Amino acid sequence: MGDPSGEPGSSMHGVTGREQSFAFSVASPIVPTDTTAKFDLPVDTEHKAKVFKLFSFANPHMRTFHLSWISFSTCFVSTFAAAPLVPIIRENLNLTKQDIGNAGVASVSGSIFSRLVMGAVCDLLGPRYGCAFLVMLSAPTVFSMSFVADAGGFITVRFMIGFCLATFVSCQYWMSTMFNSQIIGLVNGTAAGWGNMGGGITQLLMPVVYEIIRRCGATAFTAWRLAFFVPGWLHIIMGILVLTLGQDLPDGNRSALEKKGEVAKDKFGKIMWYAVTNYRTWIFVLLYGYSMGVELSTDNVIAEYFFDRFHLKLHTAGIIAASFGMANFFARPAGGYASDIAATYFGMRGRLWALWIIQTAGGLFCVWLGRANTLVTAIVAMILFSLGAQAACGATFAIVPFVSRRALGIISGLTGAGGNFGSGLTQLIFFSTSQFTTEQGLTWMGVMIVACTLPVTLIHFPQWGSMFLPPSKDPVKGTEEHYYASEWNEQEKQKNMHQGSLRFAENSKSEGGRRVRSAATPPENTPNNV
Amino acid sequence: MAVQTFLFASLIFFSSSIESNHGATEVSLFTNLENSLEVTAKPTRVGVVVLEAGKDMVRITWMLKSSAKVNDDASFKTVEVKLCYAPISQVDRPWRKTHNELSRDRSCPHKIVSKPYDKIPQSLNWTIDRETPTGTYFVRVYGIGVNGQEVAYGQSSDAEKTTNLFSVEGISGRHTSLDIASICFSVFSFGTLLVFLVKEKRKANLQQRK
Repeated sequence: MGDPSGEPGSSMHGVTGREQSFAFSVASPIVPTDTTAKFDLPVDTEHKAKVFKLFSFANPHMRTFHLSWISFSTCFVSTFAAAPLVPIIRENLNLTKQDIGNAGVASVSGSIFSRLVMGAVCDLLGPRYGCAFLVMLSAPTVFSMSFVADAGGFITVRFMIGFCLATFVSCQYWMSTMFNSQIIGLVNGTAAGWGNMGGGITQLLMPVVYEIIRRCGATAFTAWRLAFFVPGWLHIIMGILVLTLGQDLPDGNRSALEKKGEVAKDKFGKIMWYAVTNYRTWIFVLLYGYSMGVELSTDNVIAEYFFDRFHLKLHTAGIIAASFGMANFFARPAGGYASDIAATYFGMRGRLWALWIIQTAGGLFCVWLGRANTLVTAIVAMILFSLGAQAACGATFAIVPFVSRRALGIISGLTGAGGNFGSGLTQLIFFSTSQFTTEQGLTWMGVMIVACTLPVTLIHFPQWGSMFLPPSKDPVKGTEEHYYASEWNEQEKQKNMHQGSLRFAENSKSEGGRRVRSAATPPENTPNNV
Repeated sequence: MAVQTFLFASLIFFSSSIESNHGATEVSLFTNLENSLEVTAKPTRVGVVVLEAGKDMVRITWMLKSSAKVNDDASFKTVEVKLCYAPISQVDRPWRKTHNELSRDRSCPHKIVSKPYDKIPQSLNWTIDRETPTGTYFVRVYGIGVNGQEVAYGQSSDAEKTTNLFSVEGISGRHTSLDIASICFSVFSFGTLLVFLVKEKRKANLQQRK
């Protein structure tokens, strides 16, 4: 059963693979429709949409979706706006390779912290304010590129702009208030993927804007500064749109949220404990650092790489670099989908293998990219690398919801932070020193991806097995109920606080693979897909 | 997907037209060039340590070396005068690397002038281009043959590129008008947020009273 309170990440729809046919909507008998509500989309009793209608802007559900992913995408645009212009900026500010690398590290480091704070802000003030605050308060940081005069200033400004990547949290949180937990998996995945596309859009947008300003008569060193006014204004526009057109909840704004008390609030300390002591959390933190992390690093270095190595014009390099980030449009959802397909045949073991194969393939293509000597092979390798890395991101979050039921929010947050941390680390090691040329850096990054993906083999679920080991045959410890209920102690179980986990355990049985699914109940009695 | 295919196809088209130029002529190497030109480059303002881009001038002269053989200059028709980075400006900056293969050399990216060769000593008072980046430079003159390839060179510095260098301070690209616009927009962003907050709080208070 989907968690009725719809807490972020509480629904696994689309993740167990059983509900492929319900990807865009929730079948009515399973979740009762509130027929008294007057919305454009069918809604449940909490007035969350049961249907995901992509090309609609209907208030409030789809409008929220579009406001949310576009503002997240805007933040990606401004965080990586400097990357395609580095060939100009490095001459203006007399930057060394180390300065450029450090600025890249700084651009992804700020959000490690801000994403954690944003979680609290969403809880306290609501996602609409969280998003609008962040987007509008980071607009000045984007405009302040006009003041930058040296390496220190450049690094500082990129660090400050990077804080706005926390809109990822407000985006996902806001979706959870608007969409039924049955379809939230797909909605969130699409929103995240399309948001990440901003990293690709910026590589196209900024060189074009720069070129236009140049042709209007500005010198190169003024034109790049002026170009930053475009993402700055996008921030302001999106902030205003979110404040005027957005609303916290389907029925209105925040005040209603205060009145909710139907679900007993869990203790932060306890959730943190279960997140941190589950070894799988840390493996995913590492893994995401080498799928999302390398994607962010590549967003920062790829345009400059093509400009320098293949002597292309700035906007040609930008077009190529853009196709790296734009692949997110379908690559990330495709990764989740591949994981779901694998799960229909092999259950959780299939998901783990799918993740390992996709991420390792991405790493090998990255090695190929570093070693490619002609423009065409480099582009082919880059596109294949982007598909691998981004599909791996999708496949990662297809498994993360099963790691824990109680601590899902924190584990998702930690995994996300791991992505940024991995990005900072790879940029620091491979792209900030004179020890490696950029092509060598890419090659070694690919090797590191392959190496850091190996820990997937260690992820073992007693009830489902791991890549190389079958599930445990122990009649007690080998059940889903035992795994998820073990996160609650005896007192909590007596208070029946673990009911949600038990319901989740029941529905997650489909992760046992084909033999479990073929013994499943007939369609009319299909238990509530989670 | 269609967009990607289109971009991919257009890139293959462009790259094939780029690469087709390389096949025809043989590779020109710096070490194969004759050092037959005598070049000097001196800032016109005396006693100045750092020159300003767009303002200061450098007097550049070039002529055939007295030690050169009689018809050494028969092969080149034009001279290309270029501004080159000194080693100190190349440290930690791989995009300015010196490469023996002239088509891949990145150390002399700024063209000063291209003139037909006159057989007599020539000179030029060059105002440093406004878009010249901050750095330490020297001047190199290439003698270009009929087929467009370099055949000889001369430079204002020695072989190790340590003498007769001059420093240039580039423009910052900053303008007061830009700074002011930046501050105004930032204040607008802040202000708009505040206005909305106040308005919504007032609306909430009104609703509560109702």
